[in-house]
Amino acid sequence: MKNIYIISLSIIGTLILFSSCNKYLDKEPDNRTEINTIDKVAQLVGTAYPTADYLSFAESASDNAVDKGPGVGNSVDTRDRPYAWEDIFGAGTNTPSNYWNGCYEAIAAANQALESINTYKLGVKSDPYKGEALVARAYAHHMLAIFFATTYKIGGANDAPGIPYVTKPGEKVLQQYDRGTVKSTYESIVKDLEEGLSLLTETAYKIPKYHFTPAAAHAFASRLYLFLGEWQKAVDHATLAAPSGDFLNNLRPINTTMLNQSSGEFRDGFTRSDVKSTLLLANCYSTWTYNESARYGYGPSLTPMFNDPNVTGGTLANKVLSYSAANYTTYKWLYYFFYTGPGIGFPYIMQPLFTVDEALLNRAEAYAELGNYQASLDDINTFYSTKIRNYVPSSHQVTLAKIMSYFSISDPKEGLIKTILVAKKAEFLQEGLRWIDIARRDLTVVHNVIDAKGIETSIELKPGDPRRIFQLPEEVKVAGLELNPR
Amino acid sequence: MNNLPFGKKRPWDYQDSLFCKPLRIMKISTFLMFAFVTGVQAEGIAQKVNLKLKNVKVEDALSAIGKQTKHRFLYSDDVTKGAKRISLNLKDASLEDALEEVLSDNNYTYKVIANTITVNNIEKSSDKTSVVVLQNSVSGTVKDKEGRPLTGASITVKGTSVSTQTDNSGNFKINAPSNGILTIRYIGFKSSEISIGGKSNITITLESTDNQLEVVDVVATGYQNIARKFFTGSATRVDAKDAERAGVPDISRMLEGQVAGVSLQNVSGTFGAAPKIRVRGATSLSGDNKPLWVIDGIILEDVVNISNEALSSGDMNTLLGSSVAGINPDDIESFNILKDAAATAMYGARAMNGVIVVTTKKGRQTEGKPHVSYTGNFTSYIKPTYNNFDVMTSYDQMAVMIELKNKGYYQIPSASRGANGGVFYKMYNKLYEYDETTKTYGLKNDAPSQVDFLTRYANANTDWFDLLFKNSFVQEHSVSVSSGTEKSQHYSSVSYLKDPGMTIGNDVERFTGNFRSNYKFGEKLKAELLGNGSVRQQTAPGTVNQKSDPVYGSYYRGYDINPYNYALGTSRLITPYDENGNLEYFTRGYAPFNILDEVNNNYMELGMIDFKVQAALNYKIIPDLTYSITGAYRFSKSENQTFLKENSNYIQSFRAMQDATIVGSNDKLYSDPDFPNDLPISVLPEGGFYNVNLDNMKYYYLRQDLEYNKEFNGGHNINIFANMEMITTDRQAEFFDGVGYSYENGGLAVPFPKYFKKAREEGNPYYGMGYKFTRFNGYSMRAAYAYKQKYSLNGTVRYDGSNKMGKSRTARWLPTWNVSGKWNVDEEAFWIKNSILSNLSIRATYGMVANMGNATNSAAVFYNQTARRREIVDQETLTYISNIANKELTWEKMKEFNLGFDIGMFDSKVGLTIDLYDRRSFDLLGSIQTSGIDGEYTKIANYANMSAKGIEFAITGTPVKSGDFRWKTNFNFAFNKNEITRLDINPNIWRAVSNTGGAVNGYSQRSLFSIQFDGLDPQFGYPTFIGTDGIKTTNVSLQSQVLDYLKYEGPVEPTFTGGFFNTFSYKNFSISGLFTFSAGNKLRLKPSIAWAYDDMSVMTKDMLNRWIMPGDEKSTTIPALLDPLSATNIVSSSGTQVSAVYPYNAYNYSTERVVDGDYIKLKNISLGYALPKDLISRFKMSNASINVVANNIWTIMADKRLNGQDPEFFATGGVALPVPKQITVSLKVGF
Repeated sequence: MKNIYIISLSIIGTLILFSSCNKYLDKEPDNRTEINTIDKVAQLVGTAYPTADYLSFAESASDNAVDKGPGVGNSVDTRDRPYAWEDIFGAGTNTPSNYWNGCYEAIAAANQALESINTYKLGVKSDPYKGEALVARAYAHHMLAIFFATTYKIGGANDAPGIPYVTKPGEKVLQQYDRGTVKSTYESIVKDLEEGLSLLTETAYKIPKYHFTPAAAHAFASRLYLFLGEWQKAVDHATLAAPSGDFLNNLRPINTTMLNQSSGEFRDGFTRSDVKSTLLLANCYSTWTYNESARYGYGPSLTPMFNDPNVTGGTLANKVLSYSAANYTTYKWLYYFFYTGPGIGFPYIMQPLFTVDEALLNRAEAYAELGNYQASLDDINTFYSTKIRNYVPSSHQVTLAKIMSYFSISDPKEGLIKTILVAKKAEFLQEGLRWIDIARRDLTVVHNVIDAKGIETSIELKPGDPRRIFQLPEEVKVAGLELNPR
Repeated sequence: MNNLPFGKKRPWDYQDSLFCKPLRIMKISTFLMFAFVTGVQAEGIAQKVNLKLKNVKVEDALSAIGKQTKHRFLYSDDVTKGAKRISLNLKDASLEDALEEVLSDNNYTYKVIANTITVNNIEKSSDKTSVVVLQNSVSGTVKDKEGRPLTGASITVKGTSVSTQTDNSGNFKINAPSNGILTIRYIGFKSSEISIGGKSNITITLESTDNQLEVVDVVATGYQNIARKFFTGSATRVDAKDAERAGVPDISRMLEGQVAGVSLQNVSGTFGAAPKIRVRGATSLSGDNKPLWVIDGIILEDVVNISNEALSSGDMNTLLGSSVAGINPDDIESFNILKDAAATAMYGARAMNGVIVVTTKKGRQTEGKPHVSYTGNFTSYIKPTYNNFDVMTSYDQMAVMIELKNKGYYQIPSASRGANGGVFYKMYNKLYEYDETTKTYGLKNDAPSQVDFLTRYANANTDWFDLLFKNSFVQEHSVSVSSGTEKSQHYSSVSYLKDPGMTIGNDVERFTGNFRSNYKFGEKLKAELLGNGSVRQQTAPGTVNQKSDPVYGSYYRGYDINPYNYALGTSRLITPYDENGNLEYFTRGYAPFNILDEVNNNYMELGMIDFKVQAALNYKIIPDLTYSITGAYRFSKSENQTFLKENSNYIQSFRAMQDATIVGSNDKLYSDPDFPNDLPISVLPEGGFYNVNLDNMKYYYLRQDLEYNKEFNGGHNINIFANMEMITTDRQAEFFDGVGYSYENGGLAVPFPKYFKKAREEGNPYYGMGYKFTRFNGYSMRAAYAYKQKYSLNGTVRYDGSNKMGKSRTARWLPTWNVSGKWNVDEEAFWIKNSILSNLSIRATYGMVANMGNATNSAAVFYNQTARRREIVDQETLTYISNIANKELTWEKMKEFNLGFDIGMFDSKVGLTIDLYDRRSFDLLGSIQTSGIDGEYTKIANYANMSAKGIEFAITGTPVKSGDFRWKTNFNFAFNKNEITRLDINPNIWRAVSNTGGAVNGYSQRSLFSIQFDGLDPQFGYPTFIGTDGIKTTNVSLQSQVLDYLKYEGPVEPTFTGGFFNTFSYKNFSISGLFTFSAGNKLRLKPSIAWAYDDMSVMTKDMLNRWIMPGDEKSTTIPALLDPLSATNIVSSSGTQVSAVYPYNAYNYSTERVVDGDYIKLKNISLGYALPKDLISRFKMSNASINVVANNIWTIMADKRLNGQDPEFFATGGVALPVPKQITVSLKVGF
C-alpha cells in the first residue's frame, strides 16, 4: 500500500511540474521590457531617430573641405577617403555604412512602434506617436535616399534603384529586400510624411526638441518638396515651420546673441535645446568632434566667405576660430561622452537636424522657383538681418541687382538660388547640409590636392559621376541588393 | 536481481558497482548479524567496571555501566520490555563480563561499535540462524601485503548470508562450516576467497588493486554510476591521487595533461582565474566552449559567466572565472571526463562542450574509528628574469631615444607637459625648478648637465622583475576526518590556504569546509547530506576592463598597474628610487606615478563566500524499482572592493591641474556646461574612491529519478532510468562607486556635488544593479539492454527547456537523443584468454547534443535606457531595440559519431584506449554582419556549421611492478582538427588578424590570418603591405571583409595536445613527472612595434635591428622610427596621406609578427619519500610522507621568437599573471 502511495505521489508531482513548467519558463531572463502600452510606444518612438551622423563624409566630400597640405592637420580615414571620393570600408563610426545602419535602426524602432499600436489596439491616444513614427520613418528613408540613391530628378523617370523602404519589423536573420526605384522610394516617403503629419500634436512630448513636433515635420516637408519640385508645398510647409510664421525672431541670432557670446559659451550653447531656431535635435554617436583638425577640412581658403563682404555688401558675424594655423573650426560642436559602464561609453554630439533657418531658405528657394522673386528676396533679407555684422537694412539689403553684379548672373531665378545656396553653405558649415544641396542641385565639387612636394592640383566631381552616390555597405549583398556602380 | 549490469548506482552508494552483489547480501544480513555476533567486537575493550546493584532494571544497569566505561547503549523499548530485574556485584570486571552478566539472563545479544553498544533481543531471529549458530567458529586476521591490519574488511561465508567485519586489529571471528569458503572484500583491494579447510585460525593477505584497471572502472555520469563494462560512451576517469598537483590550489589544473582530448591552457595564473579548458576542441564559434562542471551530481553554475575567450582578458571579473576555485583539492576523490555524445547524453542541451564530473570523498566504514589525515603544502615562487625576455637594456634604449630626440621627439612642450612622462619629461621640468634659497635651477640648461642627468638613467638598468616579483611563502593546510559504521558514514574536512602572491599587490586566503554523510535507514531508504562552503579573501592591483579599438587596431585599458605587464612594458631606464633611496615618481595621467607606491594605494579586495547544501533520498519501491530525489541550494556572494586612495596616481590625476596646459588637456577634469567660460575643475577635490562590485547567485536544484533494473533469465538485463530536473538560478550584479571617500581622514565621506552632476549628465550613475534569471527544465529517459557481459545497447532521449529566449515559446524546447552500443569481445567464447591482450571492447555511438548559445532574441528584445543627451533637462527614459526578432533562432546542435576501443594488456596492467570521432556542429551561433536594413547590423544568429575530426589515444597503467619497484604511466595525446563548413559572412580583417583569430569559412574555428608584409619603404623605412585590392599600400582597412589578400597562418587553438605522466617508486621513494605538449597552432606576438615611443615605455631588442638608413630594407624587416616630417610622407596606394598609426599597427598584425604555438613543457616533477612504518607507528601515525614538487618548471621547447614568454599566456594586463614557476614541499600525515 505504502508503495502505491509513493508511486502515485511522485507521478502526481511529476505531472504538476510538467504542466507548470511552461509557466515556470516564462520568466524573462533579465531586465528586458515589452512594448504593450502607449507609454512604452512613446518611449520606443523616441529612438526612431538616427543615432549616427553624416557629418564626416558629407562635409569631407563637399566643397566645405579643402586640402591644407601635408603635415597640416591629421590624417583620418573617415575624412581622407571621402575627400578623394573613395569608398570607406566597414561600418565604423562616422562612415556612410554606419549612417546607413543608424537610419535603419531608427526605421526599425518606428516599425516596431507601429506594429505594437496595431497589435495591442492602443487606439487614438496613441496617434501622436503613430504620427511621429511615420514621420520619423519617412525622414530616415529620405536621408538614405539622399546619400545612397540617385537624386530625384524633377520630371524625370526616376527609375534608378532607390533604397529599400522598410515598413515591417524584421523577423529573419537574412531578410531579402528590394531597392525599388527612386520614384517608389519618394512616393513612400511622401505617403508616410503626409499621414504622419496629420496625426502629430504639439503637446505629446516631454522633451519636444528631440521629437518630430509639427513644426519640425513641416521643416522636413519643406526640404522634401524641394527635392520633388513641388514648390508651393515647400513654401506652405516652410511657413508652418516657424512659430506663428515668425521667422525673424526665431533665426539663429548670429549677429547679436551669438556674436556676444564667448567662444566657450557659443560652443556650449549652439547645440542646446534652447536655441529657438533648432526644430529637431538628435543625439548621435559620433567621433566627429574627436578630430576637428583634419588635413582635409575647414581650411584658410574657406574663410573668405566669412571675412570678405558677401552679396549683402557686409560680412557675416560668424566666429572664425582656428585651433592652430590653417586648422579652422566653426566651434559649433561640443563633445559629449555618455558612459554605459565604468570607463566604457560612447561619444555623442547633439545634432540639429532641422532649423528655422533652413526652413526659411527652403521657402526662399521655392519662391524663386515659383517666380515670386520679391518674396524670395524678403526671406533672404530676413535671414541676413540676423547674420551680417552690424546689420543696417538700408546698406545690407539684398536686391536682384546686387545679386546679378555679385555673382555675375543675369537670370534672376538662377541668381536667387545661387544666393540662397551660398548663404546656406556658410550658415551650415560643418553641419553637413551642404552635401544635400550638392546632391539636389547637381553641383560640381572641386577639391584641391597638394602633394608631398607642395604642388597643388585639383580634382572634380561632376554631375553624373557615380561617386556622387555613396556606396552601400558591402553586406547588403546578402539581402539581395546590388551595390551602387563605381 | 543479483547482477547489476547497468550500474544501479546513486552517488551515496559507498562501494562501486562491482561490489554490488555482496553489498546486497550484506544488507540482507545486517539485521541478522546482531542476532549471532556474540560480542566479538567488545573483546578488545579493556575498561574495568565496578558495580554493586540490587534488583534494578536492565536499563539502569546498562546506564551505570555506560557511565563508567563511557559507552552509550542503544536499544529499543521492545527489547527491554518484560526483562527480569537483576542484581550485580562486579569488581574490576571487563566490559564484556559486565555485559554478559547483565544480559545473560535476558537472552540478549550486543555489539560494540564506536563506543556505542547496541543491544538486541536474541529470540526473534534465533530460529532462522539456529543452523548457523551451531556451526564452527573461525577466527583470523586480514592484512595487506605490507602486513598492516585492515580494519572494516567484510568477511562473508560463501553461499550464505553470514557476514562479519574485521576490527581495528584486522581480526575477525565468524561462524562457518569447516569446509566452507570465506569471501573477503575490502575497498581498494582484490577480493579474495579462502576455503576454511578445517582451520580455526586463518591469516588472509589481500592484494591491493592499485595496478588493476578494474578498480577505476566505474564511470560516474553525475546521474548514474555505471560499470565500465556496461558503459558505452567515451569517458576518462582521473583519480585525484594520481593527478595531484601539490601547491596548485585550483582543482581544474589537476586535469592538465592527464586526459586525451582535454586541453588546458593557463591563460592566467592568478588565483581564481580559470584555465581555458576544452574537451575535444571547440564546438561552436561564439559560445563559451567551456565544459560543464558537475560536482557530486549537481551542475556547478558559474557565478559570473565568462566565455573561454574572455578568460584571457585580465578583466576584474576573471578572478571569479574559475567555478571550482572554492574546492579544496584534498576533498576530491576523482574526476570523470565525459567526452562523446553517449557519455554526455544525459546532459542533453548543455552537453556539447563535454562534462567534467567531480566526485568528492565520502566517509568509509571504519567501525566508527575516525581516520584523520593532514596535508600541508609549502610553496615558494621563482622570480622571472630578464634573461628570458626581449627587453632592451637601459643603455641601448637611451641610444634609441637620443636618435628619436634628434628626429624631433621629446621636445618642449610636448615632452614636458604631456599626460605621461619619463626621463625627458623630468629633465625639462627640472630646468624650470627654481630654488629661492640657493638661487639656482634644478638643472642647468646646458649640454653637459643634461648628459649627466640622462647618464644616471642610461646606467640604471632597473630589474623590474626583481622589484615587483616575490618569492613568497605559500601555505596550504588541509585536515580531513573520515569515519563510519554500517549505517552511516561521514567525511568532513577543513582547509586553509595563504598565498602572499607572486608579485607585489597580490595576496590570497582561502578557507574551505566540507562534510558529506551517508545514512541507511533500513533496507529501503537511504539518504545523503552534503554541505560545503568556502571563503576567499584576495587582494589584487586595481584595474579597469579592457576595451577594443578596431579603428586603429589595438586593445587598451583605462589604466594598468599589472606588475607583470609593468615589468615587461616599462623601460629599464626608469628608476624606482632616486639617488637618496626615496621613491622616485614619473608622470602618468599628469600625476606622479611609482608602481611600488601605486599598488599600495590602488588595489582590489575580493571577498567571496560560497555555500552549498545538498540532500538526497533514495527509496526502493520494489526491489527492481528505485525512486530518488536530490535537492541542492547554493548561495554565492562575491564582493570586489576597489580602494583608490588619495595618494594613488589615479586619484591624483583627478586633481592634476598644475598649469593651464594641463587644465586644458586633462580629460579627468570637468567643464560644467552651465559655466562655459569657467576653467575645468576637479570633481574630486577631496578623498578617493571606495568602489564596490557585487555578484550574487542563488541556485536551486531539484531532481527526481526513477530507475528500473532487472535481470531476466538467460543473461538479459534491462535498465531504465527516467529523470526530471529543474534548475533555478538568480544572479544579481551590482556596483557602487563610493565617491570622495577620505582614507586620510578616517573614512570620512566627502563627495563633491558636481561629481554627481557630471555623472548624471554622462549617464554614469554611481550605482547600478541588474538581475539575470535562469530557469531550466529537463526530462530524460535512458533505456539500456545488456546481454550477459557481452553486448550492451543504450538509448537516451532528453527534452530540455529554458527561459533564455524570454517569453517567446518558439525555440524554447529542444529534444536531444543518442544511441550507443558496446561489444566486450573478450567475453566471447572464441576469445582465447591470453595475458598479452587481456581485454578488448569496442564502443560506438551516434547522437545529438546541444548548447544554448548566447542569443536570446527569438522575439524582439527591448531594454530601457536614458536618452544619451548632454543636458539633464533633455534626458528622458527611452526604450530601445536591443535585438530584433529572429524567429529562426534555435539552439546550437552537434551530431557526433564516436568509435572507441578499450584494450587491456598484460593482465590488465596496462590499458589502451583509442577513440575516433567525427562531429558535425550545426546551427552554430555567431556574430554576423547583415545588410542592417531590418535595423540590426550585427546579429547573433545560427549561421554556421562546423565539422571536427579527432583521435584520442591513451595508455595508462602500471607496466612494472616487481618487488619494491613500481612504474606507473599515463601517456595520452589527441589530435583534433576542425573546419568551418558553412559561414554566411566572414569576419572583418581586424577579427581575423587579432590574437584570438576569426571564424572564416573553410578554415578552423579560430583562424589566425596576417596582413601580408611587403617590405619597408626604401626611402623612409615605414612598412608596406598588400592591401585589400592586392596592391601595395600602407593603409589596410581593418574593417574590410576582403580577406583574399591575407595570409592564413593557422589555427589559434592547438590541434595536437597531450601529456606524459610517470611515477616510479622504489620502497619508500617515489619520483614522478608530468610533461605536457601542444602543437599545431600559431600565435600573434604582442603588438609592440610603434612608429615612435614615449620616454617611459619599453622597447624590444628587435629595435636594434631596425631600418635606419636607405638600403637597410634589404637586410631588416623592422621598420624605422619616424620623425614627424617623414611621417607625412606615408601615402596610400592611391596617393592620399596616411597617418603613421595605420602602417605601424598593421605591422603588428602582419606576417612578421606570428610565431608557432608549439611547446613541450615539464609541468611538474615530484620527489617523494614515505616515512618508514616503524618510525611513524611510534607517533601513532598510520602513514606519513614528504614530497618535494616543482611546478611549471621548464619550457623545454617553444618558438624562439617568443623570447621566453609563455606560449599559453597572452599578457593582457589587468589581473592576469602568468603561471608561476614554483617549488613546493608537501607533507602528508595520517592517523
